[in-house]
Amino acid sequence: MRATPISPTARRARARTAGRQETAWVVTVTVLLVAVLAYFCLAVPDFRELGVTGVLALCEGFLFTGMIALGEALVIFTGEIDISTGAMASLSGIVMAALWRDGLNIWLAVVVALAISALGGAINGLFVTRFGIASLLVTLGTQFIFGSIATAVGGNSPPYNFPKAFVDYAGTGTVGPVPDQLIGFAVIAAIVWVVVARTRYGRGLVLIGYNRAASRYSGVNVQRTLLSAFVASGLLAGAAGIFVSGYYNAARDDIGDSLLLPAITIVVLGGVDIFGGKGRVSGVIIGTFLLGFLFQGMLIKGNSSLTATMVGGIVLVLCLILKIALDRRAGVHLSELLRRRFGRVQQAPAVPDA
Amino acid sequence: MTTLSTPPAPSAPAPAARPVGPGGGLGGTALGLLRRREVQLVVAILGLFAVCTALHPQFGVSSNIAFILADSVTIMIVAAGQTFVVLGRGIDLSVSPVLGIAVIGTGFLAQDNNLNIWLALLLALLIGAGLGMGNGFLVSVVGIPPIIATLATLTIYGGWQFIICGGQSVISVPAAYNNFGNANLLPVVPWLVVVGVGVVAVAYFFLTRTVTGRSIYAVGNNADGAFRAGIPVRRVLFTTYVICGLLAGLAGFIYLCQIGSATSTTGTDSNTNLMSIAATLIGGTTLLGGRGSPVGSALGAVFLSEALQAMISFRINELWDPAGVGVFILIAVVADRKGAPVRQMFRQSFRQPTRPAQ
Repeated sequence: MRATPISPTARRARARTAGRQETAWVVTVTVLLVAVLAYFCLAVPDFRELGVTGVLALCEGFLFTGMIALGEALVIFTGEIDISTGAMASLSGIVMAALWRDGLNIWLAVVVALAISALGGAINGLFVTRFGIASLLVTLGTQFIFGSIATAVGGNSPPYNFPKAFVDYAGTGTVGPVPDQLIGFAVIAAIVWVVVARTRYGRGLVLIGYNRAASRYSGVNVQRTLLSAFVASGLLAGAAGIFVSGYYNAARDDIGDSLLLPAITIVVLGGVDIFGGKGRVSGVIIGTFLLGFLFQGMLIKGNSSLTATMVGGIVLVLCLILKIALDRRAGVHLSELLRRRFGRVQQAPAVPDA
Repeated sequence: MTTLSTPPAPSAPAPAARPVGPGGGLGGTALGLLRRREVQLVVAILGLFAVCTALHPQFGVSSNIAFILADSVTIMIVAAGQTFVVLGRGIDLSVSPVLGIAVIGTGFLAQDNNLNIWLALLLALLIGAGLGMGNGFLVSVVGIPPIIATLATLTIYGGWQFIICGGQSVISVPAAYNNFGNANLLPVVPWLVVVGVGVVAVAYFFLTRTVTGRSIYAVGNNADGAFRAGIPVRRVLFTTYVICGLLAGLAGFIYLCQIGSATSTTGTDSNTNLMSIAATLIGGTTLLGGRGSPVGSALGAVFLSEALQAMISFRINELWDPAGVGVFILIAVVADRKGAPVRQMFRQSFRQPTRPAQ
């Protein structure tokens, strides 16, 4: 590894700076979210007229993306990436629907679909930990495979029109003005947040991304933690697939394809370093709402979904430029920046210690 | 894995330096030759061809060979561009819409204004290079990680392609385009394959025989070292993205000649992105940068095209095509992990601290 000797004082100062940067970014994203909401309220009458209930109901259109983003964030914290999540969401929805069509109780079908998602995540994780292959490659491969299986299972006319109880709960039902989906998302987000920010396991997860060797020497079980991150990512993508199927009241083999890029966008927008080791779950949660309301607002304003996606991309670039500028101002040394940009030395498979 | 109790010292000897460049560090023996991904791929391509022809004589007819080759040209050229970026330890996820915009931009002019074919070629190249510059700017000047920068431009360019189309699509192009796209040099060799091979050859010589080309390997291998050795790292990286865009534009032109129609999702709907990355990886270029060659990528593209065609011969439903691509990627990357026997990987225990996964 790159061993740049620095004094303990400097190290503590750097850690403090990093923490402050993360906080600053969460605040920035929150301000942006408020700005986006304010803009749509002021400039788009249709949006204003929705009222609180309507705006809350809009959440149903993007919270499943946020679920994928939360799982994705767990993987990205460790410095890996999982691009099979979109296909996994499709697969989970299709499996659930197909089992239900074949006569299984829908809730049982949901459980089976989630189990399969976790299994898929475990396959990704095992390839990464056992074979030591870069996760981008593994999940690129499994993405194709999961997608194909979804298409095969779905057949020509994937099932639709699920039982009302299911659609109510997973899709469009509400408790008062609050959509059920929002409650589900809140629970999942709270769990992820607590695990990452407040448990030994979660801190180890982030430490792996910050410095894998150091995490190993401080007793983190790198392999098992990595595996669990991929399982969690698969599981959350599977949950998202269930919710998205409930929302549209139909399962489709390509339903998740369009969710992957927004999910990664949310994670990055939320301030998680794509190289791992830095970021906060709170940023990801706020990022979900920022990107989601931006997207939904533009749709209401009358823009096409592709234009909205494009604006999402522009916002991502602008945010990153801003973030890089902020980081520079926070006194990160230029050499550090250079190293971070170009010098990400991935360790080649080490000499087997036999 | 007998002495698991002692983790390797932090200053464990660095793994043997990876051979730099396509030709480095390989013996001339037959076995050494077989270690080369290019040779492996040629063997695989010929072997698959032999098996398929033996089982389905229809597979070996010249028209089928011509189809396989012609089918692979677009991906071959995009993958050649992708190779430049990956060699510099980057990745370009935006090639789909770059190809798409090049097709749409030239296609409308060709359809409505009967644009001269050579001007169309020039225009496609300019569009590609221009969009590539956008990527290069974000990565090397602004400093956004490649995967994120090109993810963003993927959506931005994709939206732009949609806006340019404005609900219209290219339905037909002048005869000159179709003639160029479907002409055969020999009965089995479509003209476009010659173009594809030419591009790959130029890319190969550029990478191995020019200062900029060698610099790309150096930057991909060790950016810090390259920087200290006086290589303009940012400029080199910028160049790789421009070349990648340029070649995606060229591929767009070829697509237009071959297919003759285009929509607002051309490029994206045929998964150009992932197919080009798959061909590059199967061709032996590693995402860690600094190792690989466009020749491998081109062979990877031919192999993918052939394998997908073979799946049709074996009456495997088309819907399994992506799964096939996925399996090939996994095989390629597992095969790429030399020096760690598979058996040992499975013996590795989760209970004890072991070597880092990467």
